Amino acid sequence: MDDTEANIASAPLPTAKTLQARKNLGIQLGRFLVINMKMLKIIRKERR
Amino acid sequence: MARVVVLGGGIAGHTAALHLTRMLKRSDEVVMVTPNSNWNWIPSNIWVGVGKMKTDQVTFKLGPIYKRKGIEFHQALATAIHPEGGPGRPKPYAEITYTDPARAGDRVELDYDYLVNATGPKLNFGATPGLGPNGHSYSVCTSGHAVEASAALQASINRMRRGERQVLVVGMGHGTCTCEGAAFEYAFNVEHEVRQAGVRDLADIVYLTNEYELGDFGVGGLTFTQQGFQTTSKLWTESLFRERGIRAISGAHVTRVEEGVVHYEQLDGSSNSLAFDFAMLLPPFRGVDLQAFDANGADISAELFAPNGFMKVDADYSSKPFEEWRAEDWPSTYQVPRFPNIFAVGIAFAPPHQISRPRKSPSGTVIAPSPPRTGMPSGIMGKLAATNIAEMIEHGAAARVYSASMADMGAACVASAGSGLRQGSGASMTMYPVVPDLVKYPGTGRSLKDTFGEIGLSGHWIKLLLHYMFIYKAKARPGWHLIPE
Repeated sequence: MDDTEANIASAPLPTAKTLQARKNLGIQLGRFLVINMKMLKIIRKERR
Repeated sequence: MARVVVLGGGIAGHTAALHLTRMLKRSDEVVMVTPNSNWNWIPSNIWVGVGKMKTDQVTFKLGPIYKRKGIEFHQALATAIHPEGGPGRPKPYAEITYTDPARAGDRVELDYDYLVNATGPKLNFGATPGLGPNGHSYSVCTSGHAVEASAALQASINRMRRGERQVLVVGMGHGTCTCEGAAFEYAFNVEHEVRQAGVRDLADIVYLTNEYELGDFGVGGLTFTQQGFQTTSKLWTESLFRERGIRAISGAHVTRVEEGVVHYEQLDGSSNSLAFDFAMLLPPFRGVDLQAFDANGADISAELFAPNGFMKVDADYSSKPFEEWRAEDWPSTYQVPRFPNIFAVGIAFAPPHQISRPRKSPSGTVIAPSPPRTGMPSGIMGKLAATNIAEMIEHGAAARVYSASMADMGAACVASAGSGLRQGSGASMTMYPVVPDLVKYPGTGRSLKDTFGEIGLSGHWIKLLLHYMFIYKAKARPGWHLIPE
C-alpha cells in the first residue's frame, strides 16, 4: 500500500520563524557563503 | 601525433574535449562528433519549462567555440565503432552520419587513436505508450521540449484564471527512469509559478514518481545531521511537500499515457489511473544504439554494450543480490577492458547496478530508479578521461592512471524550488560519496560531515550562480579551466 500521502500529512511543518529565516536576505547571504564552502570542500576532496 | 575522437558534446564530452585541447600538444588532434549544433545547460531547462528563461539563455552555438579552440567539429551522429579497424585497415575508426543540414545523411568514417564515448542517453519515450511530446505528455529534457512544456503550462494557468480547476502531474514516465531531482524541481517550480499567478487554490499538483519513497532521488536517499539529530531526505522532502501542498504518488511505473489520463502500476500491485490537464513526465534513458564491430566486421555490440545500450567499462557487472553490492563494483577509470583506448563517460557508461534498492511489483515489473550520473559526476568523468588519455599519449605504458569512482566521488546538487531573486527557493544538497560505501561509512554509507541538505533563498542564488558559471566555462572563456567540474 502506498502510504506516501499519509507520510506527507504527518511530516513536520516548518515554523513561521524557519520560513522567515529561509527568505531573510541577511541570513540567506550567510547561508549562501556557508553552503558554497561546503560544496568547495566536496570539490577539494575530489581533487585529492 | 595522436587523434582523439569524442562522441557526444554534452557535459561529459564537451568537458573532455575542452580539457584535451589544453592537455595535448598542438600536433595532436581533438575531434568532436555531436548531433546537435547547440550546447545546452540542461539543469536550467526547468526554468525554460516554466517560462522564466528563454532558450537562448540555456544554449549556445558549439561551432564557434570549437573553431576557436582548434577542435575539428562534425555535427553528426555516431552510428558504429570499429575498435580493431577493418579488413585492410589497421587503425580503429568510427562511423558517423551527418545531421548538419549542409551535409545531412552523408556517412563518413573517422580514424582514431583514442575514443571518448560520451553519447549520453537516448530519450526512450517509446518505452511507455503515449509518453512524450509526440504523445500526450510534455518533457523538459531538451530546451525545445521545455519551451513546449512552458506554453502548455501557461495555457493551464490561463484556464485557472478563468476559474477552471486543473490537475497538473509532474514526474517520471516509467518505472526505471532516472533524474528524479529534475522532476522534483519542476514540480516545485510549477507550484511556485501557479502561486505567483494567484491561482494556487485551483491547482491540484501531483508528483508521480518511481522512487520507493520521497527523497530517494535515485541514490537511496540521504541521511544528514540537523540540529544535533540525524534526519533523512525522506522526512525533509515530505515536509516540503506538506508545506507546499503538493500531493505525491510513489513506487509507480507509468504503463500508458492517453489524452488527459495517465495509467500506472504501483509496487503494491495495484493498477491506477489519474486524469490530468497538464503532465510533464520524464522518459527513461537507454544507450544511443551505437554498434561495435571487430576486425572481420563481426558484430561485437553485445560484448561492449549492456542490454540497455550503455557501454560496459571497468566495473563488476556480475549479477549479485543487493546485500552483496560493494563500492568496488563501480568503475574507476571508465575504460573498456578489451580496448583501453576507449573510455565511456557520463550517462554513456553502464552502471553495474542501481544505487537505490531495486524493487519489483507482484507482477514482476521493475520499479526502481536508475543511478543518476549527470551534472557534476559527468564533468568529473569527462576531465578524468581527458587526463588519462593525455597521460597515455605522453608516457605510453608508463602512464600514471588517474581514477574517479562514483563510490569515491562527492556531488553537490541544487534543486530549484521556485525562481526569483527575492522570492525564489532551492534545496541545496551535498553527498559524499555518491555511491554509498558501507565499509568505509558503516550505517548510512556516506560521510555525515559531508552529506547535508538545506532549503532557502540561498539555494536559488547558488543554482543561478552555477547557471552563469557553467555556461561561462562551457564557452571556454578566459580562465574556464579554473572552474571546477
